[in-house]
Amino acid sequence: MTRDEIPPGTLDMLILQTVLRHGTSHGFEIAEAIQRMSADVLQVEEGSLYPALQRVLIKGWLVAEWGRTAENRRARYYTITAAGRKQLAREVESYQRVAHAISAILRPA
Amino acid sequence: MHPLEWLRRLVLLLRRNRATAELEEEMRLHRELRAESLRAGGASASDAQAMARRRFGNPLRHGEQSRDIWRLGSLDDLAQDIRYAARRLRQRPGFTLSVMTVLALGIGATTAMFSAVDAAILRPLPFPRSDELVTLPDVNIPFAAEPGHPARDLSKFITITDVIGMRQLFSNAAAYASGGLNLSDPERPLRVNAGVVSATFFSTLGVGAIAGRTFSAAEGMPGATHAVLLSYALWQGAFGGRSMIGQNVRLSDESYQVIGIMPPGFSFPAESQVWIPMSVPLTEATFRPFRGYIPSQVIARRAPGVSTTSAARQLLARWELAAVDHPEPGRRYPNVARMLNEVRKSGAAIPLQVTLVGDRRTALLVLLGATGLLLLIAGANVMNLQLSQAATRRREIAVREVLGATRSRVVRQLLAESVLLSVGGAVVGVALAPAALGTMRALLPAALNGVAPAEVNWRLLVFATVVAIVTGVGFGLWPALGTTQVSPGEAIKSGGGHGATSRRAHRVRRGLVVAELALTAILLVGAGLMLRSFQRLMTLKIGMDVEHVGSVELAIPGEAGRRTALIQGALARLNAAPGVQSAGIVNDLPLGGPSGIAIAVQVDGVTRPTDDEPRFARYLVASGGYFRTLGIPLLRGRTFTATDDSLAPPVVIVNAAMASEYWPGTDALGRTLRFPGLTAPVTVVGIVGDVREGALDQAPQPQMYFAAEAHPPANFALVARGSLPPAALLAQLNSAVHMTDRTQPVFHQRMMDEVVGQSVAPRRTNTLLIAAFAALALIVATLGVYAVVAHGMTQRSREFGIRAALGATGRDFVLSVSGEMASTTALGIAIGVGAAWELSRLVESLLFGVTAHDTATFIAVPVVLLVPVALATLIPARRVLRVNPAEVMRAE
Repeated sequence: MTRDEIPPGTLDMLILQTVLRHGTSHGFEIAEAIQRMSADVLQVEEGSLYPALQRVLIKGWLVAEWGRTAENRRARYYTITAAGRKQLAREVESYQRVAHAISAILRPA
Repeated sequence: MHPLEWLRRLVLLLRRNRATAELEEEMRLHRELRAESLRAGGASASDAQAMARRRFGNPLRHGEQSRDIWRLGSLDDLAQDIRYAARRLRQRPGFTLSVMTVLALGIGATTAMFSAVDAAILRPLPFPRSDELVTLPDVNIPFAAEPGHPARDLSKFITITDVIGMRQLFSNAAAYASGGLNLSDPERPLRVNAGVVSATFFSTLGVGAIAGRTFSAAEGMPGATHAVLLSYALWQGAFGGRSMIGQNVRLSDESYQVIGIMPPGFSFPAESQVWIPMSVPLTEATFRPFRGYIPSQVIARRAPGVSTTSAARQLLARWELAAVDHPEPGRRYPNVARMLNEVRKSGAAIPLQVTLVGDRRTALLVLLGATGLLLLIAGANVMNLQLSQAATRRREIAVREVLGATRSRVVRQLLAESVLLSVGGAVVGVALAPAALGTMRALLPAALNGVAPAEVNWRLLVFATVVAIVTGVGFGLWPALGTTQVSPGEAIKSGGGHGATSRRAHRVRRGLVVAELALTAILLVGAGLMLRSFQRLMTLKIGMDVEHVGSVELAIPGEAGRRTALIQGALARLNAAPGVQSAGIVNDLPLGGPSGIAIAVQVDGVTRPTDDEPRFARYLVASGGYFRTLGIPLLRGRTFTATDDSLAPPVVIVNAAMASEYWPGTDALGRTLRFPGLTAPVTVVGIVGDVREGALDQAPQPQMYFAAEAHPPANFALVARGSLPPAALLAQLNSAVHMTDRTQPVFHQRMMDEVVGQSVAPRRTNTLLIAAFAALALIVATLGVYAVVAHGMTQRSREFGIRAALGATGRDFVLSVSGEMASTTALGIAIGVGAAWELSRLVESLLFGVTAHDTATFIAVPVVLLVPVALATLIPARRVLRVNPAEVMRAE
């Protein structure tokens, strides 16, 4: 099975989207969800999720809180903020514009 | 960047360790959960772990990337700039060391002087709302006559009682004086400084006792129990901090009850160790423990909302009213009109701080100005050195610009370098500050001792930091901008340092040398004037021979018989002692302190047109041996003998100044004097030479000596002349007193030449400091000249090579280089000397015996400046003689 490298900058958007859809989640859950949603086509080196999470936290799009998993293990849980939703909407819109443009160019004549 | 983002980064950076640990925990959990999920899918435990690690990637790298995200962009850039600058400076240790030394001198000297100015002028006195405190010169303290003494009519003068009544002007007022007392209670007798203060003194200052209480109004009154307050230091030192309230201590043979302890650090006025009450009105009893009279000051606190100027104006209005009320000048006392003139001159109300700092203010400000000039010279020199580096650095910088650094970033890096240099200089300068503070203390007015000490404090550190940064940016900005101005391509192509920019830089550097030399010339003129003044002062005829003379001081309370016995006994022992040639006593040691009292004199048989003006002469009491001991020449008549005792007809010895002023054109010998309140005439039996008293720079006043045999003083100095070594002579003086009366303490054991030295100590310190600053400036400026010439030589070696190849001789080069430098130097000196001519008026009040436009100084300064500058030019210029044209051409 071939896996495509994830385009740079897209990871932030994927994280926001995942957390928006699944609600408050910890890092491993986010990674699993991204891989499930992309039908295992997109390859995220799982560790690279964490610098991205820090970046998104600093931007204020997510907030984090330490909590306990179902198996009673300490984990950091991420929740999307209002700023995060707004940012996601912007990103999705601009992504779709670019995607439309590219697919229009690539459409066979 | 959004401000909240900054905040989040800052929080992360502050709790960096915690955040790192949390991140690691989070990533560890991820790998564990992954491994578990793989095991659940059927993998073996070790396979699951290995696969989880592989899928996760390098956790160290992810951690590093996360931390990169936390970084604060520009702050981190700054740290990087500083690290880079530090590395660059380490690569050039010679440059770094010389620049830091020059800056340490400039910043260190300025900081140390600032500490003195801060203590004396800027920092408020350590009393609550101290800016409200003023002294009121010429306000009288009423004097209550005692039986047998004439009453003094002071009703026409403004007194402290009037001031206390001026509620709308002053919320409180008090009087204080200071003197010395013998404390005989602890095991060892001590001489202590005593503040004599009215009951309102402490409430006026706003300072209370930490144990017990301060004085009540009753305590100052005649007949009340003697009460005393102890300073914290004396309480701790002499009494070991034991409970003292209610205890009795003996001060100058009187018993005093301790009623309170003052807070630590409080010792106003004049480093007081004890305080005793002053009665208002004054009585003879107030001054009995002292020499009969000590000058007192009136201090007041302005009422809220009243400025010092308006208080002074309204007080002056009161004086003017008093003068109108009292047009007839009194015959026996200074008249009101004259007093009014004095008040107008001094100001009716003066801030306490200004009074305490007195005339030392000018000296302090002049010295601070001098260090400022020194700092400017140092800064110009550093700028020069940086410009000379600029040519070599231009290529390095061009490369960095090509690689993508913006100009502002490069400028910032260069500035980081110069700020780092000046901060390094400041650190060295401040590290030396405690050592310098000793000297600074000598500069501070004595009245400030124990009130506002010079110390290393946060104000000093803030000052040093600000000076360092301003210096670094101020002198680094121009070179940094200049270095980055050229387009990188140009710099890399040309090989640097030969083009038009280099010629302009050379002009700027010559301008800096002109400035350095001009500033140095100003400092040298200042130093020259001060040195000439000091030399004038030291070669002054002081009217006595102070070599081989020792002195100790004593205070003998009690009745005259005891004093006479002690004086006679000690003098007899000294006269018999081996190695002692002569001995004597005097009530006020010349140059031993502020001059004592003068009394009004009436001369018999001489009529003067303005006879109603009282004339004053210094009141001195001496034994017959005093004149010989101090080498004061007897001009006519005789000195005192043992028969001039209290039973003999009263006699007086006058000095030459008094003889010629009181009996102009006639012989004073055998004439008589009278004193207000005394009916018997006093006959002049001798005329002696004038002696400088009080301060060396004060011309001798009329002086008259009364016989100690007839009027044994309570406070006096015992002096002896002898060929013994100083320590042995002082030991003889000590033992003569001790053998006569074992319980009698002595103090101020000094050789007379020390006394003279101490009297000029502040002036000597001023002079030495300004001379030192000028010398440093001269060295720094000379180094500056050397650097410019040497650098110019390197820059122009190609030109010299070509010219040599075309037939020019080495002599031509040296002439051309030194000719250029000569015009630079001449310009610098001319500007500096011209500016000094204008500025020297500022130091006029510090001069003695020379004018601000002293010819010798203004001739000497250019010469002093020219010699080192000529050497600094010729030594590097001679190098050109060794230039080998072929080599230079090949190097191209």
